[in-house]
Amino acid sequence: MRNSQPESPVSSIGERLSGADPRASITQLFESLRPDLLRFAHWLARDRSLAEDNVQESLLRAWRSRDTLKDRGAARAWLLTIVRREHARLYERKRLELVSLDEALESQAPAKAVDPEGDLFTLRNAIMRLPIEYREPLLLQVLGGFSTEEIAGELALSSTAVLTRLFRARNKLRAYCGMSPVPDVSTSEAAP
Amino acid sequence: MSCEQVRLQIGADPGGSAPDLEQHLQDCETCRQFRAEMRTLDANIRRALERPPASAGTPPFTASWRPWALAASVLLAMVAVLAVWLLRPTDTLAREVVAHVQEEPESWLARQQVDAQSIESALSGAGVKLDLTSDRISYAQSCWFRDHYVPHLVVQTAQGPVTVMILRNQHVSARRTFHEEGMSGVIVPAPQGSIALLTRGGANIDAVTAQLQQDVRWLPDAH
Repeated sequence: MRNSQPESPVSSIGERLSGADPRASITQLFESLRPDLLRFAHWLARDRSLAEDNVQESLLRAWRSRDTLKDRGAARAWLLTIVRREHARLYERKRLELVSLDEALESQAPAKAVDPEGDLFTLRNAIMRLPIEYREPLLLQVLGGFSTEEIAGELALSSTAVLTRLFRARNKLRAYCGMSPVPDVSTSEAAP
Repeated sequence: MSCEQVRLQIGADPGGSAPDLEQHLQDCETCRQFRAEMRTLDANIRRALERPPASAGTPPFTASWRPWALAASVLLAMVAVLAVWLLRPTDTLAREVVAHVQEEPESWLARQQVDAQSIESALSGAGVKLDLTSDRISYAQSCWFRDHYVPHLVVQTAQGPVTVMILRNQHVSARRTFHEEGMSGVIVPAPQGSIALLTRGGANIDAVTAQLQQDVRWLPDAH
C-alpha cells in the first residue's frame, strides 16, 4: 500500500531522478541518507523488518514535510529525528512484541571475547541489551551526532538527565564487557 | 569539579573537553585513567555501531563453520526454548524484579558504602525512611519500576550482597519465595506495599528480611 502512493519518495526514485523534476535533488538527498537512517532505526528497534518499516514511513513523512527543511545541511539530523519519533510510535504500537524480544535477549549469556573482532561482537550484543532509555540517547549521540542539549530537547528530558543516561549507558557497557563499572552518579532525572 | 562530576562528564561524552574538566584531570590520576578507558571504550562503541545489528548476531566464525554454527544455533534455540518453558517464572512480580536487577549488573559489584544523602535521595520518591545504618549499603538508586520510582538498594552482609527493592505500590497477600536466573529471593508483605529481597549467593536473606521489616518506616503520604 505504502509503495503505491504517488507522492512516495521511495516508490519511483528512478523516475524522479531521470527527469527535470525540481524535487529530484531532495529525493536524491533522502535516498543517499537511507543507509544511515536504516542503521539508526535498526539499532533502535533491534529488528530489521521493523527498521525498514520505520524508514519507509519516515521518508514518506519527510517527503510530505519537505518544504519545512530549509537547510539541506541539516537534513540528516532532521531525518534521524523523524525516524526516532516514528520508532517511538511504532514501539508504542508493538510494545508487547518488543518485550518478548527483550526477554529473549536477556536469556542469552554475554558473548565471550576472544579476539578484537570478538570484542566488537560482545560490545554489539551489549548495546543490543541496553534498555531503550539508555540505548536511545547513546545512539542519538554516537550515530546522530546530536549534542546533549539536542538530545534533551528531543527526548523531553533535562540536560542533566541526558548526561546521567549517557553515563549509565557507557557504565553498563563497561560492566557487560567485563570492565569494572564505576560507582553510579547521584543525579535526578527531572524533565526540563 | 568533584571526581563524581568529572566522571559524569566523561562517561556522558568521553571525547568532550572543558577548561574545568582539564584542570581537574591535571591533578587527578584516577580520573585521567578513567577518561583513557572511556575513550577506548567509546572508540569501540563507534566501531560496533558502524554495522547494523543484523551482523551483530553473527559471531566471527569462518565460512566453513557456518553450517555447523547454524545447526548448533537451532539446537541451542530449541534447548533454550525448552529451558525457558521449564524454568518460566511463575510469579510475574518476582519475574519483573529479577529482570530489573539483571538490567543493573553493576549494582552487585559496588562495594563502597553509599553516603546518607544518596540513600535519602533514593528513598525520597517512595515515601519511606530507613533506619538501617548506611555503612552496610553499597548501592542506592531510585529506579522506575511498574510506573513508580522505587528504592533499589544493595545491602552488604557477611555472606555477600543482598538486593532490596522497596515496593510501596505492589501488594502481596503473603510471603513468596522464588528462584530465578540463579537468584534466590523473597517478596514479603509490608504495611504499605511489599519488600523484595534477592541474593545470588548464600547470603542469609531471612535475617536481612527481618531487619528491613523492622527498619523501613512507611511515611503517610508518598506522592
